[in-house]
Amino acid sequence: MGRRKLAQPAPDRLFAMSTAYVTMETSMGLTSRGTAAIVFQPLATADFESIVHDMEEVVRATASDSGTTVSSSDDTYGFRWLVLRGSDFDDLVVGINAVSSALEAGGYGDRVLCAVFGFDDQRRKRPVYWIYNYKRGAFYPFAPAAGAEQRDNEREFVLKAQVGKELPVEQELERWFPLWGTPI
Amino acid sequence: MLFTMFLLGLVYAVLIAVLIAAGAGAVSIAIIAAGLFAVQLFTSDKIALYSMGAREVTPEQAPQLHAMVDRLCVQANIPKPRVAIAQTPMPNAFAVGRSPKTATVCATTGILNLLEPAELEAVLGHEITHVLNRDVVVMTIASFFASIAAFITQFGFFFGGGFGGRNNQNNQGNAFIFVILISAAVYVISFMLLQALSRYREFAADRGSAILTGRPSALISALMKIDGGMARVPQRDLRAASSELAAFYIFPPKAKQTIGGLFSTHPPLAARIERLQRLEAQLQGTA
Repeated sequence: MGRRKLAQPAPDRLFAMSTAYVTMETSMGLTSRGTAAIVFQPLATADFESIVHDMEEVVRATASDSGTTVSSSDDTYGFRWLVLRGSDFDDLVVGINAVSSALEAGGYGDRVLCAVFGFDDQRRKRPVYWIYNYKRGAFYPFAPAAGAEQRDNEREFVLKAQVGKELPVEQELERWFPLWGTPI
Repeated sequence: MLFTMFLLGLVYAVLIAVLIAAGAGAVSIAIIAAGLFAVQLFTSDKIALYSMGAREVTPEQAPQLHAMVDRLCVQANIPKPRVAIAQTPMPNAFAVGRSPKTATVCATTGILNLLEPAELEAVLGHEITHVLNRDVVVMTIASFFASIAAFITQFGFFFGGGFGGRNNQNNQGNAFIFVILISAAVYVISFMLLQALSRYREFAADRGSAILTGRPSALISALMKIDGGMARVPQRDLRAASSELAAFYIFPPKAKQTIGGLFSTHPPLAARIERLQRLEAQLQGTA
């Protein structure tokens, strides 16, 4: 035709985080903040809203067994954040995957922007985020620094080197887009 | 600057050709060439500093800069060079001098304002590695040998029984032009080899910086800031980028390389970053 098909999410590579986080906590000086979020662009249609609503219910139901909570908020860019909070990291990964699967099953896979996992950086005493870009099927680190819209590039390169092959890491540095004002 | 260097060397080679054609003996040409070489070796650092408007600074005038140079020289185990600052907004740092004892390290005010302390230290480490490796001397000698190669070619050709020799008046004009063309060709090839040598020395200086500071990632960050081009970690929010679809299936436009690879003295930024990332992985034990 001439139009490129929008890339569908690559969820299986997301699960690399459920093993990589162990390395992060033991030898990279990071500890999970117990937060994870999936960011998507909502559609103002009844079908989309009902899928989101059903999916939230499902996640709430399964998550409540382990004490994980679910909340939802919209940001200034018009994206919606579904935030999971809980101490069981595996549950966070499973929950995030459940959301993206539900959206994909409903035909809205292309509306999913990314998943974000929050960590505390023991070295810098600041949060560090691992962002998973669904369309690229790869993670990259994001280390916000002091000051407005500042990031610690050096720390990000060190984290990339430290995680090695444990995570599929985005190789093109020009695609390491930040998420300023991450609410997790 | 690159084209200037190329032309200067070409002038060198043509000058020697002219001297030969004018009948100057091999010995006097050798003396002139050696004299020019000595002048180049002994004054090029002063000329470079003067042309940049660099002024030497004392530890009282620039305590942090001096402290960084101190640390790096202890690590590199070389005597501390002079430290200078050039007043210009262009971010740049360079080292001149034929030996650690006679060297000067210079940073512009532009780079002092642009970089974080760790990044600046990484850049200074790169320059101090050039001093440690005596790169100024190496490159001067290498470029001198390139001129010698051109000289030998012309000399051998003209007197070794080329186009009729001195007795044949008709062919003398042609032989003269031919000599100049050949020496220019030899020079061009030597120049390209010199560029390859220079790029190798740049990689070596990057590596040296990583070893001196232990922070190759700081150098990556510094290089990206100095380059100021497209090849850097973006500032634009993912949500803004996605709405323009650039993040997803259209490749971000690559900055056009202004100088072809064969003719540049520095390797491309992407190659330097890739090697530094490999160094960081080796450092972290995940390579």
